[in-house]
Amino acid sequence: MATVTNRTDYWEKARESGFDLSWLDQLKQNTMGETTNEFSENNTGRVEGSIPRGDVPQFGAYTFRTKKEVWAHNLTKLYQEFVTRQWSSATDIPWETIEALPDDIEAAECQLATFFAQVEFVASDVPGRFISTMSPDYHEVRMVLLGQVMDESRHLDVFRKRALANGGGLMRMIDSVSDVVGGSTDNAREFTELSSRLHITGEGNVLTLFRLGELMAYNEAEKAIYRRCAQDEARHVAIGVLHLRYMNEFTPERREEIHSYLDEGESRQSSGAGGENPAARNILTSDALAVLLGGGKDKTDEGQKILMAIRQRQTKEYFQRLKSAGFDDRITNGRVNPALLELANPA
Amino acid sequence: MSTSENPEEIPDQPAGQEVEASEPASPDATPNRMTWMEDTLEWGVRAQPGKHGLTMRDINTGIYGDVPDESQDMSRRPRGAFPIPGVPRTDLYTLNHKVELWADNAVDLYEEAIQRRWMAHIDIPWESMDPHSEEVELATRQLCTELAQQASIETDVIGQWLHHMNYAYHEVKTFLASELFDSGRHYAAFRQRALANGGGLGLESPGHMNRRILECRAGWTETALYLYILRGTLTLLLYRYGEAYAQDPAEKLLFRMCMQDKSRHMAYGMAHLKYAVDEKGPDYALGLRRLMGGVERDLASEMKDPVLWEALAIIIGRGVEHMDAGMAEVKNLQRRYIEEYLTRMKWIGVGKTADNLDQGLAAYLDQKESSPA
Repeated sequence: MATVTNRTDYWEKARESGFDLSWLDQLKQNTMGETTNEFSENNTGRVEGSIPRGDVPQFGAYTFRTKKEVWAHNLTKLYQEFVTRQWSSATDIPWETIEALPDDIEAAECQLATFFAQVEFVASDVPGRFISTMSPDYHEVRMVLLGQVMDESRHLDVFRKRALANGGGLMRMIDSVSDVVGGSTDNAREFTELSSRLHITGEGNVLTLFRLGELMAYNEAEKAIYRRCAQDEARHVAIGVLHLRYMNEFTPERREEIHSYLDEGESRQSSGAGGENPAARNILTSDALAVLLGGGKDKTDEGQKILMAIRQRQTKEYFQRLKSAGFDDRITNGRVNPALLELANPA
Repeated sequence: MSTSENPEEIPDQPAGQEVEASEPASPDATPNRMTWMEDTLEWGVRAQPGKHGLTMRDINTGIYGDVPDESQDMSRRPRGAFPIPGVPRTDLYTLNHKVELWADNAVDLYEEAIQRRWMAHIDIPWESMDPHSEEVELATRQLCTELAQQASIETDVIGQWLHHMNYAYHEVKTFLASELFDSGRHYAAFRQRALANGGGLGLESPGHMNRRILECRAGWTETALYLYILRGTLTLLLYRYGEAYAQDPAEKLLFRMCMQDKSRHMAYGMAHLKYAVDEKGPDYALGLRRLMGGVERDLASEMKDPVLWEALAIIIGRGVEHMDAGMAEVKNLQRRYIEEYLTRMKWIGVGKTADNLDQGLAAYLDQKESSPA
């Protein structure tokens, strides 16, 4: 190990022979701050905490450069969970447990799988777009969104596999655009709007359904699919809850705006518009669910009763998320969608 | 097609306050409402798991494996799903031709990405890190800062293109999703290494190449040329050298795992570029060659920046005192970079040679080999 004295000599000699080494001095003086900047001046894609150069073009031009637009606490831990709980649709699902099902049950499974294969990747495309417009200074947010991109990709793939693994096939696509009132997940340009709609209501509804996968699964493979997807989806919902909790605490001036996003989300949750709630009444996917839950196309009445219980559970879990995020005042002040209130508290 | 996708709107209901219909609302609320059970383009598919499980390639059977040369479907309809009439556009996808994004190996690389997943915070034996001399530690931080930034830029680039890709090509979309996840892991891992022994990060990248890759609007193929052939070739070499000159088991494994990921990314990039050039022909190839003229000048300018090279020279030489020896090896790296760039360009079918290479880059080809890595 070189001593301080002869190290200084080496540096001097190196400089004399043409090396620059000024960057070494800069590194020695650079220390990491403890806090995340409220406003990011990073427009060059540099790693948070790295030493800026003065001559780099501002090609990043990030749309999201303030902490309060995107932030949430505890995301580092959540990202590690994303990384730790990855799984393979090829090898972690016991495909060998699938056996031939009656045609109506298989058709319903395939219809539901077609739905999920269609809608899940929206939560890859849209977060992907947002990541690229978000300052790297808020890398914790970017990282959890990257985790979500990967998860949703796997969901597209696992449901496509399910549709094509057991003598069925892909079935009817859904129309996710007609009759959508207000903003949509695809079109969102603001992160809190996206997160409210995508993570809290959209994925929240799907999470409840995945959690109840045992009810609509007919073999161990399907149970494993729903169980693993539920685990993934819970993380995605957590992103939204953590973000709204932060917003509630640090941007009270935006509470009313956030409530308006929740208004729209609740409308879709109850109506099924945009296909955001596959369990909503009188839509294609709820027909398929009724077949699966009831045990056949001639037992959909029983299936509909179970679906009603599922909708109730979706609503209760949604209310719990509102409470966790600090937006549960809408439940008691008359703002919440009356259909949801009725579901949660049936007469 | 009779099933309504949405419930009937309830009159006199305030906006945003739609309630559930008390009666079935759609025309399918009849004894015939299960008509959707007939709506499939191909039934009776029973894909079988192979020795690698049930892979995406296994399910590319019948019509479900037919990848169209062009898709005008602006919804997210899964390829092979039963279409319904009158569906409004979800998006105006701009990459709607197979030739703009396809690679035959994407479907396998996606599965490989998942099978070979790893966790930087668990799989890397951080506890094995040996204390480095101060200057080697600083140099390592600089190298890791550069690599973390390269990964972050990769994230931004793919993130801004992914949503432009038509859903008919889901194999590519899912593979790129896995590359996004990989790039996030690389960012996190190199940042973690840079900060593992205390202190701060190094200087940001000079930015010329980052700018080129991020600002590319010509197409995904052109972006891929920058991202994979120009940048990826260097990144992969830096990983190789990082692994070869790692100071401890933690660094060695870190570079090795990243190398494995990057090789996969390169496999997609090379296959796509070759496919695009093969399909589009010599005029397109000539265009790509010309496109690289200005980019090469920017690269030559960026390569004059001493920071990354000096950091590598210190790492390889194990200190400033042996930096000369380290720099000799760095020159090998630089030469190999430009040689591999030319080799890759040739492989995809673009006539890039030493004769039409930017002179600033061509100079690196003349750097004498001293001590091969």
